[in-house]
Amino acid sequence: MLAAVRAEWFKLVRRRAMWVTIGMMVVLAVGIEYFLVYIVATHPPAGAARAGAELTSLQTGLYPDSVVKKSLASASALGGIFALIVGVLAQGSEYSWATVKTTLVQLPGRISIVVGQLASLAVLALIMVLGLFIADAVASYIIATIDAKSVTWPSGIDLMKGVGAAWLILYFLAVLGFGLATMFRQSGMAIGIGLAYVLVIENLVFGLLVNLGDTFKQIQEWFPIANAGYLQASFGRASGAVAAAAAGQPPVDATHAVTVLALWLVGVVAVSAALVRTRDVT
Amino acid sequence: MIATPETKDLNGSHSVVSMPRRSATLVETRELSKQYSGGVLAVDGLSLTIRAGEVFGLLGPNGAGKTTFLRMLTGLIKPTSGNATVADGSPGSSQSLSRVGAMIEAPAFWPYLSGRDNLRLLARYCGLPDTRVTAVLDEVAMTEHAHRAAGTYSTGMKQRLGVAAALLKDPALLILDEPTNGLDPQGMVEFRNLIKNLGTGDRTVLLSSHLLNEVEQICTRIGVIRRGKLVTEGTIDEIRGGTELVVRAQPADQARLVLEKTYGADHVTVRDGAFSLRVDMSQTASIAKSLVMSGIDVTELRPAERSLEDVFIELTGTEGGS
Repeated sequence: MLAAVRAEWFKLVRRRAMWVTIGMMVVLAVGIEYFLVYIVATHPPAGAARAGAELTSLQTGLYPDSVVKKSLASASALGGIFALIVGVLAQGSEYSWATVKTTLVQLPGRISIVVGQLASLAVLALIMVLGLFIADAVASYIIATIDAKSVTWPSGIDLMKGVGAAWLILYFLAVLGFGLATMFRQSGMAIGIGLAYVLVIENLVFGLLVNLGDTFKQIQEWFPIANAGYLQASFGRASGAVAAAAAGQPPVDATHAVTVLALWLVGVVAVSAALVRTRDVT
Repeated sequence: MIATPETKDLNGSHSVVSMPRRSATLVETRELSKQYSGGVLAVDGLSLTIRAGEVFGLLGPNGAGKTTFLRMLTGLIKPTSGNATVADGSPGSSQSLSRVGAMIEAPAFWPYLSGRDNLRLLARYCGLPDTRVTAVLDEVAMTEHAHRAAGTYSTGMKQRLGVAAALLKDPALLILDEPTNGLDPQGMVEFRNLIKNLGTGDRTVLLSSHLLNEVEQICTRIGVIRRGKLVTEGTIDEIRGGTELVVRAQPADQARLVLEKTYGADHVTVRDGAFSLRVDMSQTASIAKSLVMSGIDVTELRPAERSLEDVFIELTGTEGGS
């Protein structure tokens, strides 16, 4: 099994598309969540003068003490989309290149290969999270320095909790992408359906259903995208463009959100492994 | 150009998965069948035995079920019924795969990795050292191109890299599915020489093809498959058949009378001015004697040789091969 993990990592780490995707995620996250927000906060458009307090709040939210909230906001929104794409690419390409056959006629066994792929994705998700946190930390430090503010970093515990939460969210979405690519045996449909689910379907369906009663609100508390949002919100509201959508007190606590996400993660892994193990490779 | 076995000794290099050849039978299938969803019966009760050291050719027209059969042997697909033992293990098991190298259909590689890195990746799956990669690249004469991304390779290079991948484990059984598909004539010749060399020693090669001359040149024994069924199996000479004799004699009318009287009219046909006799080869001397004793001059007496193509067309009907 360790041989499969080593092989999968060897393959993943040499794939330029993965690093380009992760690089784009980091650049976009910092660009949107920090520099765009900073420009808006420091150069408010005409007519926005009345919202001075809000603009100040936006600006102070960019300083280092808010880096965990900001990074989590980036991870659960923008980062999640890129993690899904990374997960789809990791598996979908194996089908489109037909390399799944090349791999399966070697030694390790189908489940070992899945374990290797998922272990490599776990490491890649951690790299994505660390990339986000480090880039955000640098951006917040630069902004605080420009504004001549004192630099106060979050506590080590908060930082670790934030990294852990962001990793769980990104890893779940990467595994979701992996599972969809396994199911459809291709990348295109997996990305399309994955993005539709993450961005639209769950929110749209429950957005309508919750109006019919509390039962649907309780059902929503067991769905993954909602719980990713709850987990992020449990760290407090981050100011900024993307995080604004996640405003409000979450209906469940972080433990519930982590449990539900972990259950979905295990479920998607189990389905993917069962498909890989039992299906014919033609 | 492809390396010769005199200059490259694959078995001489070390391998962590190389195991002693254990059984005299490398492949044994019993009533193996595969029906795809949709009802297509691709392989129908195929029983086959391939012994160690053979270069076995699986011959059949396109769509006969060759690739499906090979996929079952490597565990890529599961049979609907029947059973198989491949290299002392069930198909696709670690025990079996550790002694099997396979190239099924067109070889597929990670296009962004170099040829060498593709093999290094596969070596990692098997727990093999990188030195093994160097050895097999040398074996298929790909060392010079090994640094290039596999996505830029020609068909011939991909085929050779595919064989290199199959050789990584120094397998007791090498399974090659239509290995010369897509190659130009020069490439086909080189490739056939390579396969011939790989089949020397105690390695067993199972080769599928629809190309008659390819199988004829490379294989020691063949099986002909048609619509998922094995229609015949044996050495090429056995399959060509040696049960007909060609006889030319003068005067022809008198010769015909003697032959029909001795062996029966059903066993004598006239083809291109010669008699074709369906008899046991051991009767050659007595035929000559009976004709001569009847005052007939025998000008030619030899076994009739059917080409493999004749046999193939006869066995597979109009589906034919190329």
